[in-house]
Amino acid sequence: MGFNYRGDGERAGLKGGKNTMRLRMLWRNLTRKQKVEDELNAELESYRQMLEDEGTARDAAREIGGKEQIKEAVRDVRAGAWLDSFWAEMKQSVRGLARNPGTALLGIGMLALGMTASTVIFSVFYAALVRPLPFREPDRLVQIWETRLNRSIDQASPSEANFWDVKARNRSFEDVAAAHDDQVNMTGMGEPEKVKILEISANFLQTLGVQPVLGRDFRAEDALAGWNTHVAIIGYKYWLSRFGGQQDIVGKTLRLNDRVYTIVGVLPPGEPWIDKQLYVPFGYHADANRGSWEFGMIGRLKPGVTVESARADLQIVASALGRAYAREDEGIGFRLEPSRRWVASNETRVALWVLLAAVVLLQVIACVNVANLLLARGLSRQREIAVRSALGASRGRLIRFVMMESLLISFCGTVSGLLGAFFALPAIQQLDLKVIPRLAEAQLNLWVLSFAVVSAVATGVLAGLAPALHAPTTRIASTLREGERQTVSRDQNRLRAALVTGEVALSFLLLTGAGLLTRSFSQLAKEKLGFQTENRLVFSVSMPGSYYERGIGKQFLDQFLTRIAVLPGVEAVGGINSRPVEGWDPGMTIDSSSRAESRVNHAPPWAAWRVVTPDYFSAVGLPLLRGRVFDEQDPSVWAEPGKPEPARRVILCERLAKMLFSDSDPIGKSVMVWKGQSNRSAEVIGVVSDSHERGPKSGDTLTVYIPYGRNALTSEFVVHTRGNPLNFVGPIRSILRKLDANLPLADVRSFEEIVNLSLSPQKFNTVVLSIFGGLALLLAVAGIYGVLSYSMGRRTAEIGLRVALGASGASILRLTVLQGMGPVLAGVVLGAVGASALSHSFVALLFGVKPFDLATYAAVTVLLLVTAVAASYFPGRRAMGVDPIVALRNE
Amino acid sequence: MPPNTPLLQGTLDVLILKALAIDQMHGLGISRRIAQVTGGTFQVKPGSLFPALHRMEEAGWLASSWGESENNRRAKFYRLTKSGRKQLKERTEQWALITAAMASALG
Repeated sequence: MGFNYRGDGERAGLKGGKNTMRLRMLWRNLTRKQKVEDELNAELESYRQMLEDEGTARDAAREIGGKEQIKEAVRDVRAGAWLDSFWAEMKQSVRGLARNPGTALLGIGMLALGMTASTVIFSVFYAALVRPLPFREPDRLVQIWETRLNRSIDQASPSEANFWDVKARNRSFEDVAAAHDDQVNMTGMGEPEKVKILEISANFLQTLGVQPVLGRDFRAEDALAGWNTHVAIIGYKYWLSRFGGQQDIVGKTLRLNDRVYTIVGVLPPGEPWIDKQLYVPFGYHADANRGSWEFGMIGRLKPGVTVESARADLQIVASALGRAYAREDEGIGFRLEPSRRWVASNETRVALWVLLAAVVLLQVIACVNVANLLLARGLSRQREIAVRSALGASRGRLIRFVMMESLLISFCGTVSGLLGAFFALPAIQQLDLKVIPRLAEAQLNLWVLSFAVVSAVATGVLAGLAPALHAPTTRIASTLREGERQTVSRDQNRLRAALVTGEVALSFLLLTGAGLLTRSFSQLAKEKLGFQTENRLVFSVSMPGSYYERGIGKQFLDQFLTRIAVLPGVEAVGGINSRPVEGWDPGMTIDSSSRAESRVNHAPPWAAWRVVTPDYFSAVGLPLLRGRVFDEQDPSVWAEPGKPEPARRVILCERLAKMLFSDSDPIGKSVMVWKGQSNRSAEVIGVVSDSHERGPKSGDTLTVYIPYGRNALTSEFVVHTRGNPLNFVGPIRSILRKLDANLPLADVRSFEEIVNLSLSPQKFNTVVLSIFGGLALLLAVAGIYGVLSYSMGRRTAEIGLRVALGASGASILRLTVLQGMGPVLAGVVLGAVGASALSHSFVALLFGVKPFDLATYAAVTVLLLVTAVAASYFPGRRAMGVDPIVALRNE
Repeated sequence: MPPNTPLLQGTLDVLILKALAIDQMHGLGISRRIAQVTGGTFQVKPGSLFPALHRMEEAGWLASSWGESENNRRAKFYRLTKSGRKQLKERTEQWALITAAMASALG
C-alpha cells in the first residue's frame, strides 16, 4: 500500500515549503510570547463562556478540566516549544544551583578534576598511540628485522650487506632503506660537542615519505663514494636549539670528526627516525660487512602488497642469502614490524592503556558522586516536582527539567576541566619525561576536544539519569501532603547504596592497580644489580675515526686512563664499549664443546659482549670469582690487517660459565665466539660475578668480556671515586682537554642517576596511578560521607525516637556505621572480583609481583574499609548527638 | 483526553479538517460538529482540541481570526487554508483506503 499510516500532523507539516510557515511561527512564538499567551488565554476564556451559555457552570467547569494543563499542552505543540522550555528550565536550574552553591561547586569541582585528568591522559594517549606517523601513507611502511630462529633469535638488527641484498632482491617493496645510529664529535663551533647522528641510505627519507622543510633531501650522487660523504641534514629540534633556527643554514658547513660537511637541508619535527640531531648519507660499497648486526632497515610496500605476502617474498630472499653466505646468514629469516608499532614499545602501550582506563574509571567515580549529590537534591525537590507535574508538566519535561541540572554541572565541570588541562598539559610536557613517546606533540586538538565533549555529555546524562528517572515516579498527592518531610523511599535508598557500591568497587580497581605498580617499583628498586652504583661516575668520550685510522686510539686511551687513575680520590677507572644499563647492546652466540655435546639445551646461548679495559671490573665493582682479569698482554680478539690471528682470551660472567661448562672449571677451556658469524675460538681466562647489564628489569645478563686493544677501543668510562662522583667532572675534563681539546666529555652522570633514569617509566606509571588511586579514594570517601549524612539527616526523627526509647549513643553509632558499611563491603567484594579479572592485562607492567598479589589486595581492602568506617563515623557522631525532644518536635 | 472511543493516531486531525471543510468555526463549534457527525462516538475534550488546533495552525493547514460567535461572544475562528484543503483531500483518500482494507481484513 502506498501510504504512510503514521498520519502524524506535526511531522507532515514540516515537509516541503511549509518550513517558512513554521519558521514564521517560531519567530512569532519566541519574540511575541506575551501576545501569544494572552491570545491563548482569551481563546480558552471564550470557550468557557460559550460552554456556560450552553448549560450550567458546573458542567462547563467539568468539561473544560484543568485550564493550566490545556495551556501546557498547547505550549508543548508550539513551534520552538522545546527551546522555550529549555531556556526556562535552564534559568530555573541556574537559579536552583545558585541557591545551593555547595552542591554546585562540589559537583563541578569533582567533574573538573576528572575532566582535567582524563583530557590530559587522553591527549597524551592520542599523541603516543593514535596519532598517525608524520610520514606519507604510513600503513605501507614496515621495519624489517633479521631473525635466526634456529638459534632462538627473533629480532636482530640487519647487517649492512644483507640490507643491500634485500633492497636489490625483493619484489614487494617500492623501496628499502637503512639507517645506522652513530655519534660524532662536532668541532669548530666553540666547545667540542658530541652529536647523535643517523647515517642513512640516500633513499631513506624518500622511503619514509618525509620532505625537508628547508633545502633538499639526499640524492643518490651524495653517496656514490659509500661512506665517504660530505653533506648533512639537520634535525628540526637541533636546528632550533643549536642553530637558532637560522633560515639561511643551507649551504653552511660543519666539522664532524674532523671532516667538513655541507648542510643541505633541515627535517620537519616528529618521531621516530627523524628526531636525531644530524643526518649523513651512506651509499653502496662492495665490501659492506655481512656479520655485524647494526642497522635499522625499513621498507615501503608497493601499493596493494600485504605484509603477509611481503614476508613470504623476503623468505625467498632469506633462503638465497642463507645458501650463498652460510657463514653469516645460516638460518636467516626476516620479521616485519608494521609502522604503527614503531612509536611505543609494548610496555609503553600497555601502560598508556592502563592509564587511560584508570582515568576513565576516575571520571566514572566523579560522575557517580555527582549523581549521588543530585539524587540527594532531587529528594528535597520532590515537592517542586510534584507541583510541576500537578500543573501539567509531562513526564518527558520533568525528566528534562531534572537532567538540566546535571547537564549544567557537567558543562561547567567540563569547561573548568578543559581549562585545567590547558594548563596541566604544558606543565607535564615541561617535565620532559622521556618515558612517553611523542609527549611534546600532545595537544588539545580536535580529537581530544571531541573526547571531552563526548565524555561531558555522557557524564551529564549518567549523573542526571538516576535522579531523573526517579523524579516523575513521585506520587503527587502523597508528596504534597507530606510537605518537606518526605520519607526516603526504599527504592531511593537502594539506588544510593548501589552508587556507593559502584564507587567503592571502581576505587578498588584503581587502588589495586596503584598498589601492584608500587610493589613492582619497590621490588625493582631493591633489585641487586651486580655492580656497585654508589660513588661511580660514568661519562663518554668518543674518539673520531682518524684515531682508528692512525692507530693512536689505544695510546690516547692508556694516557687518559692513567691520568685519571692518579687523581686524588679516584679508586679505579675502567673503559667499556657500551655503558651499562643505558648503552647499546651488542651480542653474539657463544658455545662450548662440552655444552654442545651434553645436548641439554639445544640452542647455544646468546650473550652480550663488551670490550673492557683491565681495570673495568674493579671500577664498576664486579668481583673476580675465578682466574684472572685481562692484562696488557691480552690482545684484541679482532685480527689486525697483516698480522697473525691473535690468541683470543675472554672472561665470562658466572651464569654463562655455568651454562657452558656446568660445574667443571672453565679456566683454560675454549669457547666458540660469534658462533654462526665468524666462528672464532677463544680461551676462558676468568669468571666474574653476574650483573644486570641491561638494567634492573632484565635480570642478570649473560655477558662475555673481551679485552680492549688497538682496534677494540672503549668510549664509555666508569670511575670509582671517594665521595661525590660529580666532584671529579672538572679535573677529568681538564685532563681530556690537555690530551685533545677537540674531544667532548659527554653524557656525564653518576651511576645511581643512570639506574634511576632507567626506572623512570615505572616511576611515572606508579606515581600517576597512585595519584588517580588517591583521588578515587577521596571521591569514594566523599560519596560515602554524603550518602550517610543525608540519610542520617532524614532519619533524625527515627533516631530521636530510638534515643527516647533508651538506645545508647554507641548503638546509634553502630547503626550508622553498619548502614554505611553494607554497600562498602559489597563494593569491596565486587572490586576484588573485577581487579582479579582485569589485572592480567597488567602483567607487562609488573615486576616481581603476581597480578593477584594477596598482600596488595588485602591492603586495598583494609584501606577502603578503614576509610569507609571513618567516613561513616562523623555522620554517626552527629546522629548520636540528636536530642530526642528537638527531633520529635520537628516531626 | 480520553474520548468514548480511543482516537486513532491522526484521526483527530482529519476530523477537524473535515469539520472546517464548509465554513470557518470556533473551537467549541468544531468539538460539537465532530460529536454530531460521528453520532457522539468522538467527544473531543479541550485538552486534545486546542493543542491540535494550534499545531495545525502552525503547520499552515488552518488560519485563524477573531470574530463574533452566534451568541455574540468574541471567539477565535478557524478556517482551512489551501494546504489544509490539500491535507483534507489526501487524508480522506488515505482513510478510504484504510477503512476498505480494514473492512476486508476483519470482514
